[in-house]
Amino acid sequence: MPADRGRRGPGRSPATVVATLTAGKAVRSGAVWGAVFALYVTASALGYASAYKTPQARALLAAQFGSNFGINAIIGPAHHIDTVAGFTAWRTLGVLSIVGAAWGLLIGTKLLRGEEEAGRWEALLAGQTTRRRATAQAIAGLAVGVVTLWTVTAVVSVAVGRSSKVDFAPEAVLFLAVSLVSAAAVFVCIGALASQLAATRRQAAAYAGAVLGVAYALRMMADSGTGLEWLRWTTPLGWVEELRPLNATRPVWLLPIGGLILVSAGLAIHLAGRRDLGASTFLDRSTSRPRLRLLTGPTGLTVRLVRPLFAGWAIGIACLGLMMGVIAKSVGTALSDNALFQQAINRLGGRGAGASAYLAVTFLIAALLVSLIAAGQAGAARGEEAEGRLDNLLVRPVSRSRWLATRLAIVTVALILAGLVAGLATWVGAASQDAGVGFATLLQAGLNLVPPAVFVLGVGVLTLGLWPRGVATVSYGLLAWSFLVEIIGGVVNANHWLLDTSVLHHMAAAPAVDPNWASGGVLLGAGLLAAIVGGVFFGRRDLAPE
Amino acid sequence: MAELAVRTEGLSKRYGTVDALADLDLDVSVGEVVGYLGPNGAGKTTTIRLLLGLIGPSAGRSEIFGLDSQRQAVQAHRRLGYVAGEANLWPSLTGAETLHLLGRVQGAVDEAYRDELIDRFALDPSKKVRAYSKGNRQKLILIAALMTRPDLLVLDEPTSGLDPLMEQAFRHCIHEAKERGQTVFLSSHILSEVEALCDRVGILRAGRLVEMGTMAQLRHLSALTVEATFDGSVPDLSRVAGVSAVQTDGRVVRCQVRGSVEPLLKVLAACGVHELLSREPSLEELFLAHYGSDGVVADAR
Repeated sequence: MPADRGRRGPGRSPATVVATLTAGKAVRSGAVWGAVFALYVTASALGYASAYKTPQARALLAAQFGSNFGINAIIGPAHHIDTVAGFTAWRTLGVLSIVGAAWGLLIGTKLLRGEEEAGRWEALLAGQTTRRRATAQAIAGLAVGVVTLWTVTAVVSVAVGRSSKVDFAPEAVLFLAVSLVSAAAVFVCIGALASQLAATRRQAAAYAGAVLGVAYALRMMADSGTGLEWLRWTTPLGWVEELRPLNATRPVWLLPIGGLILVSAGLAIHLAGRRDLGASTFLDRSTSRPRLRLLTGPTGLTVRLVRPLFAGWAIGIACLGLMMGVIAKSVGTALSDNALFQQAINRLGGRGAGASAYLAVTFLIAALLVSLIAAGQAGAARGEEAEGRLDNLLVRPVSRSRWLATRLAIVTVALILAGLVAGLATWVGAASQDAGVGFATLLQAGLNLVPPAVFVLGVGVLTLGLWPRGVATVSYGLLAWSFLVEIIGGVVNANHWLLDTSVLHHMAAAPAVDPNWASGGVLLGAGLLAAIVGGVFFGRRDLAPE
Repeated sequence: MAELAVRTEGLSKRYGTVDALADLDLDVSVGEVVGYLGPNGAGKTTTIRLLLGLIGPSAGRSEIFGLDSQRQAVQAHRRLGYVAGEANLWPSLTGAETLHLLGRVQGAVDEAYRDELIDRFALDPSKKVRAYSKGNRQKLILIAALMTRPDLLVLDEPTSGLDPLMEQAFRHCIHEAKERGQTVFLSSHILSEVEALCDRVGILRAGRLVEMGTMAQLRHLSALTVEATFDGSVPDLSRVAGVSAVQTDGRVVRCQVRGSVEPLLKVLAACGVHELLSREPSLEELFLAHYGSDGVVADAR
């Protein structure tokens, strides 16, 4: 973000400057993600309509997925999926609520705590506004971003709904769009609240992320068919599910959603007035005993900086693996007779059955998480450069290539560890239920997650060399695209050229099949090559601040 | 010829159509303290980032102790300490951890001197960087650069955010460095700081070095201010050779004299001068002479 964006433009009233600045950034982001949402709605509706043309095919799909607790646990229960409307609502709500919630908490913490941490609020608050008013304005600006997300999603979806294959009523589509952005709106406000509690943006995002994790886990348990359906009422993601867009709509569930939005936004504004600028509500230790062991050079520094973040990811991946491992056997048994699921697994390159086949699908989510670490670390490397911290090393006897190579080596080790954690935790869960999937098989399935992540890291570094300001866009964009293609490809017969554009598609569907180390090797090699080329360009170009 | 700590030849940097730095030829001898003046956007930071190899030149080259600052940056940086105008550090590290890290990366630290600097700048090293004020963060990077006793100190507006007491402590450190034979390249727009510390001064304007010399040389190029009070009638001084900017206030006349003062003295002696004051221009006046009284030039970047 260029530094000059923080300046006040001519003609902006001091009373609304924070709202205007925040809205400007939120609208850009909301428009981009609105396009992603719209694309996903389009792909789901049109894909279903063309793949399942006959009532028989649709009835078969409904029979198979309607009672599939594994899939229900991951993306929510399927209602009326023998219709385009039912299928579209089920598929889009399940996936986009999570994407939207993650977007909301990230942008909420970025534009509140992030801006404050960067010192940009100091100048604004020295003017004519108070902390409380500025926070209210920032939340209003974020609301404009959410409205943009809704508008882009709604406009495209209404247009798609007019297609004769799909045939959705415009008002039903508008309510679908409301449902799809509800989780985003809630988590924008959770992010705003977390920004008041934590001292740094990273910490705030971690708090809000923990809330999302708990909300998702509760929703999963509720939808696992274990008699805990009432848990759905305890989580905002459950409320979103209860909106049932395009089917038997239940707008009454907008009340708790709106209530949570108002309460968290109100609390955020209230807490903003009770603390000092730059301070947090939770006590932040401003002093600490020096821990010098690792601080001997760029290597130790990177380990020190990456460690807490990695620990958070590892815990998340371990929880997911454990949970998936525990339910693998029961879900796998139900799935073994499911032709459609087998077909989806086959499209992903798998040939297994039972628990292994189910775990192959859940490892796709683990692959996404491990690759997200890679994308995040490519962005973090750029962050060190953009925020000027890298200068402190490069004006001393440290070369750019040494710094980058060290960093990449450490991140690669972290990715391998993350893969092993996924395999190990899944094995612990699966073994506890005697699911019959071996330790070595799952550990290999865990390692199988590493090549796509290394590829994403490599592409991130290539971008760092060629287009430093685009690192986050390219690496997260590649992942988001890959995941969407996988989800679409799992349901409809997508063109193989389209499937090949997904980095996750080149990963064997382990543990349903043995990992394909040859294709993994190609991904690793391509990632390494991209990183080397990126490193060469990074070594030659001017360092570029924000 | 004395060994050179810094040498640039035709060093230039273009951003699009703008010359951030144009054709800079600069020599800084070992042991010299050189001031580098110019308003914001004149190209000071661009010069320093080129010298440090953080950005590459569009044309020309630069050397630090004879080492190419682009190709041999790592070797050159072993002998160099740098202080940026804005301290961007890792917020989760404490002051002590930051100093330890930067010292280990640099290689050699005078630990006794480091502790003395921490005292002198009254820094609490147990605090986390994110809890420091701007001034304290600035002190931290100053200490980090000074504690290794580098052969060359490259300072880019190093006292921004420091209070006057700390500014004094900084000046003391630079005097010490000079006494020890260290070379200092000080970019600043605080003129009194440069005047007090520097052997030579360069003035940069819109990416071009417009003046370079000792204070005496620069003063010689500029006008002397003369104020004369007469007993009787006031003569017309505007036609005297070398005299300009004549202002008359009753029996007091102020004017500027360039070159020899002899013609003026002859006229004054003949007219019955009651009191005569003359003053050399301050660096501020020299600086303003290059920039106009508002100090404004076009932004170089």
